[in-house]
Amino acid sequence: MKILKIAIIALLLMGFSNLKSNEKSDELKNKILKNIRCLICQGQSVYDSESEFSSSIKLIVDKKINDGLEEKEIYFYLREKYGDWIIYDPKLNKNTYILWFLPLLFFLVGGAIIYKKIQKKNEK
Amino acid sequence: MLANQIGYYSLILGLLLSVLLCGVSIKDFNKTNKQINQNILSLSFLQLVFVIVSFLSLIISFINSDFSNETVFNNSHTTKPLFYKISGTWGNHEGSLLLWLLVLTLFIFLFLIKSREQPKKYRILTLLFQQIIIIGFFLFVLMTSNPFNYLFPTPNEGLGLNPILQDPALAIHPPILYLGYVGTSIIFSSSLAAVTQNYILKQWGQHIKKWVLVSWIFLTIGIMLGSIWAYYELGWGGFWFWDPVENVSLMPWLTLTALLHCVVVLERRAALTSWVVILSITTFTLSMCGTFLVRSGILNSVHTFANDPARGIFILIFLFALIVLSLGIFFTFHKENNKSSNNFFWLSRETSILINNWFMMYFLSVVLIGTVYPIFLDVISSEKISVGPPFYQKLIVPFLIPFLLFMSLGPRLKWIKSKIENKNSLIITFIISVMLTFFIIKNLTADLLFYTVLISAAFFLFFTTLKELFIKKFNNISQTVSHFGLSLLILSILFNNILSSEIITNIKIGERYDYNKGEIFFKKIEERKESNFNSIIASFEIKNKNGKTIELKPEIRIYNQPIIITSEADIRTTLLEDKFLVMNLVKGNEYFNIRYQVKPFMVWIWISVLLLSLGGLMSLFKRKI
Repeated sequence: MKILKIAIIALLLMGFSNLKSNEKSDELKNKILKNIRCLICQGQSVYDSESEFSSSIKLIVDKKINDGLEEKEIYFYLREKYGDWIIYDPKLNKNTYILWFLPLLFFLVGGAIIYKKIQKKNEK
Repeated sequence: MLANQIGYYSLILGLLLSVLLCGVSIKDFNKTNKQINQNILSLSFLQLVFVIVSFLSLIISFINSDFSNETVFNNSHTTKPLFYKISGTWGNHEGSLLLWLLVLTLFIFLFLIKSREQPKKYRILTLLFQQIIIIGFFLFVLMTSNPFNYLFPTPNEGLGLNPILQDPALAIHPPILYLGYVGTSIIFSSSLAAVTQNYILKQWGQHIKKWVLVSWIFLTIGIMLGSIWAYYELGWGGFWFWDPVENVSLMPWLTLTALLHCVVVLERRAALTSWVVILSITTFTLSMCGTFLVRSGILNSVHTFANDPARGIFILIFLFALIVLSLGIFFTFHKENNKSSNNFFWLSRETSILINNWFMMYFLSVVLIGTVYPIFLDVISSEKISVGPPFYQKLIVPFLIPFLLFMSLGPRLKWIKSKIENKNSLIITFIISVMLTFFIIKNLTADLLFYTVLISAAFFLFFTTLKELFIKKFNNISQTVSHFGLSLLILSILFNNILSSEIITNIKIGERYDYNKGEIFFKKIEERKESNFNSIIASFEIKNKNGKTIELKPEIRIYNQPIIITSEADIRTTLLEDKFLVMNLVKGNEYFNIRYQVKPFMVWIWISVLLLSLGGLMSLFKRKI
């Protein structure tokens, strides 16, 4: 009985790890598709959309993953082809410094204001 | 047709009443009587009645499918069920603005009858400021978006309502959301009135807190209804897309939440007065911006249903005028009262509320910049970028960690000067949270360290508030319930994110699909005819590893007016998880594309938002008892 149990567990584990690699590529694919804008839709990602454009992008992404490309390389490829508009994750460059850093600056300034305010109250 | 005329002339009468009201109020302002003139109340009531009549006549035109009315023609159809004919009234631009107007007039009337103990001049000024907004909206409706435009010759049939809007959650989503949005107008008007009267005091704090709570509750529920709708109708199992239109509803929610906390400081300690006023102005401005951004059509979004630059320009000018007016009033009249009672120390309730505001403002800046910056960049350099979920996640999620920790500690502090009590029990709770988190997620995610810290922080808040709920003497139960709700919300969202799984495949009738956790069997399809759509209903049997079978019936609907194909997901909800199945046609063959998702703790996301608002509701009724 014990051997049987071990065998079953071992089998399960093997099956599990096997499927896991498959699942992982699926997961990666979905993650990528969610980050790509469907260019002909109104505010939908390729993942959400069933348009022809999205279908073709899905095929492209599938192919690129099978070719062994990394997530970043796929984004790079799509940006080259369709422009920055297609990727939901804006990359950091001179166009987007403000976008990425202004909120953080707000956070620092806000913290400084509160610090000063309480400091002043404490001194009184 | 008659309804059309009545509706239109009621609107004009409503506008005239606004002017009359302003006149009477100004005359009454300097009189010595203690209470405001009874006529003002009657006129305000009359105005409300006219707007109600106007709104009802639009509803009647929709019910009767009176296509001589342009709005009805554009947004309705004779074959639509009655319920959606009615909800179609506010499912479009013109009607939804009329609803705005209705809520505006309703709230100022309620304000007048609920504020009898307040100073007369303050009440009259609030009425005046509110009437400025109301006049603006009357003009906007009459000049750019008249819901009663006459069509001749009368068309035989209407164009129909976008099918994705034909949905029960979406039928009540706009009215609830508008109650929240427009509620902020009262906060705006009354804070301006209070500034001019130098009345930003404890009494005002107590009085305005109710309005803040009312708006906050409606806004919270309204946003939740929108999310629920997006979850089962729009998305493929997602409930928040960081879509611009969602963001614009989140922004006033963030400032309103900050304001809610500040008002507590104001009513207890008469502190932070200028900040309260600034937040009131900002909240309403953001609500108006929301209307502007959605209505002008400059946002690229699924929700956009009007593209008319004239409307956008009108709202923009109006908004600009309101901002100038309010800032002018603020800087002219506001005096910071530097009483000694204003003092507080580092470790105090005041500090913790400032920290709450600090984070709220940071989250606001992320959402605001993320939403507006792409438009801005497009205008100045015509470069198009997309700002989506990854951006918001990167800038918001890490900041949740300190936010949650502060939130666990803050409410335990006393006013002015405090020390942390029960340090040991806090430390023990914290250690338990970290260990629990580590054991739960150690096999689940690649990003172990980050998630352990984040979820520990959420658990810490969860346990501290839970303990408070059961052990403490319920002295501030409303706040504890809300904070508990938030911790539950964050936990549910995080676990939902980490644990969700999905299967996407193409399948035909009679086929089985095996996956590692079970099996999907496509049993059959049936066809059904409704008055406004034909549908294909599929039955799937889904067997999981334990041999348990459930049957799910997703649907594809082909609406007749306008002709649009929609997919209706079938969702099986249990306390532990949602099973979500949706299918799509695949062009030119017998296969259907299906997407099967298992989403753990989905229902807890809604429950926790309800808890969050329940806390607000409890606080609202606490004082009256």
